[in-house]
Amino acid sequence: MENETPFHPTAPPETPVAAFTPRTDLAQLTARTEAVRHQIGQVIVGQQDLLELLLTALLADGHVLLEGVPGVAKTLTAKLLARTLDVPFSRIQFTPDLMPADVLGTSIFRPAQGDFEFRPGPVFASVVLIDEINRAPAKTQSALFEVMEERTVTQDGTAHRMATPFVVLATQNPVEQEGTYRLPEAQLDRFLFKLNVGYPTLAEEIQILQGHHGGFGGTPLDKVQAVLSAPDLAALRQQVGQQRVEANVLEYIAKIVGQTRAHKALYLGASPRASIALLNGAKALAALRGRDFVTPEDVQFLAAPVLRHRIMLTPEREMEGGTADEVVAQIVQSVEVPR
Amino acid sequence: MSTSPLSRRARRWVLLGSLALSTQPVAATPTPAPAPTQTPALDQTPAVRLRQPQAATERLRDLASQRAFDYRQAPAEPSPQDSLWRRFLRRLFGWLGDLLDDLLGRSSAPSYEGFWRWVIYGLLAAAVIFVVLKLLEVDLTRAFGRTPRRMALAYETLGENIHELDFPVQLRAAEEAGNFRLAVRMGYLALLKQLSDRALIEWQPDKTNQAYLRELASQRPALRPAFAEATRQFEYVWYGELAITPTLYAAVRAEQFALGRQLGSGQAVPS
Repeated sequence: MENETPFHPTAPPETPVAAFTPRTDLAQLTARTEAVRHQIGQVIVGQQDLLELLLTALLADGHVLLEGVPGVAKTLTAKLLARTLDVPFSRIQFTPDLMPADVLGTSIFRPAQGDFEFRPGPVFASVVLIDEINRAPAKTQSALFEVMEERTVTQDGTAHRMATPFVVLATQNPVEQEGTYRLPEAQLDRFLFKLNVGYPTLAEEIQILQGHHGGFGGTPLDKVQAVLSAPDLAALRQQVGQQRVEANVLEYIAKIVGQTRAHKALYLGASPRASIALLNGAKALAALRGRDFVTPEDVQFLAAPVLRHRIMLTPEREMEGGTADEVVAQIVQSVEVPR
Repeated sequence: MSTSPLSRRARRWVLLGSLALSTQPVAATPTPAPAPTQTPALDQTPAVRLRQPQAATERLRDLASQRAFDYRQAPAEPSPQDSLWRRFLRRLFGWLGDLLDDLLGRSSAPSYEGFWRWVIYGLLAAAVIFVVLKLLEVDLTRAFGRTPRRMALAYETLGENIHELDFPVQLRAAEEAGNFRLAVRMGYLALLKQLSDRALIEWQPDKTNQAYLRELASQRPALRPAFAEATRQFEYVWYGELAITPTLYAAVRAEQFALGRQLGSGQAVPS
């Protein structure tokens, strides 16, 4: 029997439970994120995974793209999350005739002073909800490239820096829906996660109906209060940055992302930005789950949200009805878990 | 300058005569001009005689006898100009042809009668079916009533196989080297092997510890707390790089040992 040899403890063992606790104090992080969960949970029924991933993105300083058919509370969830944060919030409804200046802002000539003044657009906020992002054409989408990646807007040679935090929460309907455009790959790559919002379960739907039947449907947003300030969020993010990642887990992340570049069903694999996103996301998720180190479980859990919008299927696989999630699952299955 | 009516008439006849000549084959010898008053009938045209100069005929015969101008397909004859490789290939194909003729029972004309004909048809049909199934990526294992197999792992990704590790030796070596981190890992892998051997988990290199925990919880719920604690300790030591002292190691190994004994004794733990 393997575990009977060779070691036989001679001294009475100390209680190991005390030793196996996080070495950094995650109590504050747990309390704050639980408060956010509680606030949103007053309105949103179910969607626990979605909520966990939204909080993960918030802690990892990443933007989130929410995709789902109309009516599954994408916009409501994003608005609720924004409401729990005590930071400036703005909402942009993307339409086919939206211009880049409508998003970023524009320079106005001041006759009295004889110069131009920059008027910031709605993107100048800490939490920006872009509703129906794929209803605007590529010209408008490209206006977001700089601000999403570099957190600056350059107008007339002047770079205007965004406030911290700066989070873009975008919603979109599947591209098969009428009147939508496919987002450029460069923009998709700037989203930390793409989250698929699915239908509720039967029990959850009954709960939703009971809530509305009891007069819940009026102004649900009023129930939600801001419980996380910008300095608090900055402190939590700093803690996330100190998470431990063992060398084998780093290699595991690199192998998974590397496999996307060699998979026969893909003609566009994920970039190194995806590896960094997977790493940052896993660190935040581990902290949310009360650990000060990352495990392969965290990496596997985040593989699909991080990679599904960064890879492109070959036309053959698309015609066969294959999905990006299936390919990501195959890739994760093909890489040995470090242990 | 004026011309007389007589000379104009004469020129008209000359012109008509030349036009009539242009519709006839060129004669080797000039024919007399037709009388201006009557047009000769076609069947009365004199026979054409081709001019064949002796020198040209000899030259034509000489060219036709040359190999470069012989366009008829003739069986390739080995010639001194052929390379050794070409001659080898010619012999090889000739030998293969003879062999096939023997196998198929052919004498001189191609014939596919008999047993070999059906064998060849069968092989061709099997090859076509195989190619089609491969192109469609059909999993043939389903056809034989087996559960569909999981995608095979790329072989090079398999760094270690827990079923091939010599755990007592590896554990002792790690402990003697004072590498308690590695020793905890070996103890945990030995637990996984025991669970796998007793069919409480299905070992797969791509599965996480939590996946095994869920499998064990469904198979033997009573073992879940002990395995969950062993997993937590292993993860803190291995992934969390927790500095482990000999005392702490003793505690971890005691937990692993206890769980191993539960598994190894074969006694059913109340669930």
